[in-house]
Amino acid sequence: MVVEQQLLPYFQWLLTGGENSLGALPSFFFVFLGVAMAALVIGFAIAASRYGILRGGDVTYKTVSEGLSELLQTAPRRVWAIARLAIKESMRRRVAVALGVFFLVLLFANWFLSTNHQEPARLYLSFVLTASTYLVLGVALLLSAFSLPNDFKTKTIYTVVTKPVRAGEIILGRIIGFTIVITGLLAIMGVGSYIFVVRSLDHSHTVELESFQVVTGPAGEDAGKKGTTSRDAGHRHELTLDAEGNGETTVENGHTHAIESIGENKYRVSPPLGFIRARVPQYGKLRFIDRSGAAKDTGISVGSEWTYRSFIDGNTPATAIWTFDNVSDAVDPKPPEAERSLPLSLIVRVFKTHKGVIGQALQGTIQLRNPESQLTSEPLPFDAQDQQVDDIDIPRKLLSQSRQEIDLFKDLVSKDGKIEVLVKCLDRGQYFGFAQADCYIRHPDGSPIASFAKVCVSIWVQAVIVVSVGVTISTLVSGPVAMLFVVGFIILGFWRQDFVDIATGKSYGGGPAESVVRIATQANVMVQLEDTLLNNLVSGFDKYFAKPIMWAVAQTLPDFRSFSTVRYAADGYNVPWDRVFQDVTVCLGYVIGLSILGYFLLRTREVAK
Amino acid sequence: MSEEIILQTRALSKVYRDFWGRQKVRALKGLDLEVRRGEVFGLLGPNGSGKTTTIKLLLGLLFPTEGEALVFGKPASDVAKNERLGYLPEESYLYRFLTADETLDFYGRLFDMPSDVRRQRIDELIEMVGLQKARKRQLQEYSKGMTRRIGLAQALINDPELIMLDEPTSGLDPIGTREMKDMILRLKDEGKTIVMCSHLLADVQDVCDRIAILHQGELKELGRVDELLKVADVTQIRAKNLSVDCQQELRDVISRHHGELVSLDNPTTTLEELFLDIVRDSEARPGRRAGVK
Ligand SMILES: Nc1ncnc2c1ncn2[C@@H]1O[C@H](COP(=O)(O)OP(=O)(O)OP(=O)(O)O)[C@@H](O)[C@H]1O
Ligand SMILES: [Mg+2]
Repeated sequence: MVVEQQLLPYFQWLLTGGENSLGALPSFFFVFLGVAMAALVIGFAIAASRYGILRGGDVTYKTVSEGLSELLQTAPRRVWAIARLAIKESMRRRVAVALGVFFLVLLFANWFLSTNHQEPARLYLSFVLTASTYLVLGVALLLSAFSLPNDFKTKTIYTVVTKPVRAGEIILGRIIGFTIVITGLLAIMGVGSYIFVVRSLDHSHTVELESFQVVTGPAGEDAGKKGTTSRDAGHRHELTLDAEGNGETTVENGHTHAIESIGENKYRVSPPLGFIRARVPQYGKLRFIDRSGAAKDTGISVGSEWTYRSFIDGNTPATAIWTFDNVSDAVDPKPPEAERSLPLSLIVRVFKTHKGVIGQALQGTIQLRNPESQLTSEPLPFDAQDQQVDDIDIPRKLLSQSRQEIDLFKDLVSKDGKIEVLVKCLDRGQYFGFAQADCYIRHPDGSPIASFAKVCVSIWVQAVIVVSVGVTISTLVSGPVAMLFVVGFIILGFWRQDFVDIATGKSYGGGPAESVVRIATQANVMVQLEDTLLNNLVSGFDKYFAKPIMWAVAQTLPDFRSFSTVRYAADGYNVPWDRVFQDVTVCLGYVIGLSILGYFLLRTREVAK
Repeated sequence: MSEEIILQTRALSKVYRDFWGRQKVRALKGLDLEVRRGEVFGLLGPNGSGKTTTIKLLLGLLFPTEGEALVFGKPASDVAKNERLGYLPEESYLYRFLTADETLDFYGRLFDMPSDVRRQRIDELIEMVGLQKARKRQLQEYSKGMTRRIGLAQALINDPELIMLDEPTSGLDPIGTREMKDMILRLKDEGKTIVMCSHLLADVQDVCDRIAILHQGELKELGRVDELLKVADVTQIRAKNLSVDCQQELRDVISRHHGELVSLDNPTTTLEELFLDIVRDSEARPGRRAGVK
């Protein structure tokens, strides 16, 4: 499932952070301070080696103080002039080619992606969005890494820096200019992708009149028809029609069709509906009861599974319990109040220890409980399909365990709006696995287009960070080197967590120097190294030098993997605004931090060397 | 010319180093200069003598190894000085994908000029450098002289007080050269200060008030052009409407006083001689300030 890490509300994320993380703003502040101190020390060291300690100190002090006052003199018109130049330069360097490549990719995609797939929308969406991401990041990389170095090479920078333009404006203007170019590209690619997906998945069916069976109501009256559609795009739907001949089909390959009667034995089948969805889940808090009935934070581990999902055993008291807050009948606004239900979605990981009955799904039950009064509903059975989103609408009118009629929203929701959802597995020897995000209350779907646009924003955020890093580092080195650096930055950012784990000693095998020794001596990561002087030196080097540096570098890296919201769209979830705001804020942080860093790098560089 | 010092170098030295910090070239050795407001100052010297290096140091494009360069009384690395300064580089380092209009507009924006002022100034400058017909063409289509002209226009976009011209006449045709020199004199009349470097002596002689002659990074000669060229033991006589008799009389007078008539013609370019003298002298006895007569 898509949300593997809990998303904090924006302001909590920004200011105070979660349980074991700092708020984004304080972290930014600390990292900024750290980088500033490091830069100061390095800057002073260079100045001192060039001019001697005293004059070096003087030069450093002047650079910093002038820098701070110059940052305040930033003029929008000059920034905009540089931005316009960057845009013109991009045009001259034919960024439009990227669009050509993109449309070629779409053409080829049409050949090798098949619509005859369980979830064609997931396939198509993840393909086009991933393609757009790589293309846009590539363009961002090439534009930003080669722009300033090219100015140095053609010496056009001489005529620019001898104007009253501040170094910070040269950096910021470029970032803004390339960002505009990328925004344009991404907008075109986004619209293109959306149209492409919708058009590719578009198909229609006809109804097969010979398959029709008349359905009769309880009093023997005509209650409509049942039948199937024709087989198109590799699948057919079952359909049910009411007495007027209108109705809808079952869900196949992630979509349905609406059917409308347009005369005697004539029906119109709508285009596919619900391919691109934006589910809005409300997550609860998960705890477990184990097989002996004791409360636990986690269930049991079945070995190979990722630790964050844990399991309950079937036909025992073992239960997964989610507690939801703020529950009321407003979650299902459409039908009249008396018919409202609690729309739940459940995703089950099924772990089988024996085959069970072939062709029959495992059975589970859902119960609702009021956390205050402990009033509990009768178990409702459901079929568990591995890793499928099962939408279960629990009706308002329920029976309690003592078989009394109860009202879901009145009797099972506590006064402070809490409700508990209890899930059990019925089959002995089989297991259900759950993570916190596997059960949620389904709010009305968001707009798929808006959600799609938000995915594009997250691609945009990644591209802007790449541009900022590219422009900043290219003040210092030549184009190809800058490009390598940015690629390294992206890769490290993508594997940031593993990088941190090595730095903090969480992963086995020690730091970089120890790894070299292990590779040379063919000792795998679990083997204890011998207690020799060399090995001690090596691990000492890692411990006191390499790992602290790795840790410090990791602090400045963005977590590129978490930026990608492509999976939200592919899995059919709405991208939450909190996610978008957080990403854009991080992006802004990078633009500001890197512009300042870039200012000092460019300011202290001897331009005409 | 006022007494206000616009530009000053004190023991300015530059050593070019390679990546490892090893010394490659001592391009400038202890240069002391002062340029006052309203002057046209010429930096002269053979190829590789450090003229461009000096200008780059004054612009803050290079950082001095020793000594300091002050422009308008502030260190050359101060960006604020650029508000009042114009620079025409050795070659026109301009964005080749921009048109003349776009180029001037871009540099105008860098001076934070409002758009109406900018537009008017661009029209004036395009007209002044005679590029009206080519103003909508990209610079990559320009000839060398045209590029030079647009380079000059961008140097003047902010109506600067101090103009630094690195070989202003290179690449220009005789008419262009004449126009450039006229323009320098016109700017001088407007009270601007001009620092130019060149090895075209005739140009320097025509427009400069004072010159400095550099050789291998050392200052060899500094002074007013008219004084430097005045040769104390030579008197030049120029007159108009002299009859043949009168000329004969003059010759007689000169020979009566044991003088020797050098010529009665138009004077030749003696700066060239001075220049060659200094270079020869400097090569024979390196490290000394030459010809302090
Ligand atoms: N970037 C550089 N790296 C190393 N040496 C340089 C560099 N730029 C100039 N030099 C050296 O410094 C010396 C002075 O060069 P400079 O360009 O100032 O001469 P110049 O007087 O302008 O000559 P020209 O009349 O040919 O333009 C030369 O020996 C040159 O080789
Ligand atoms: Mg030169």
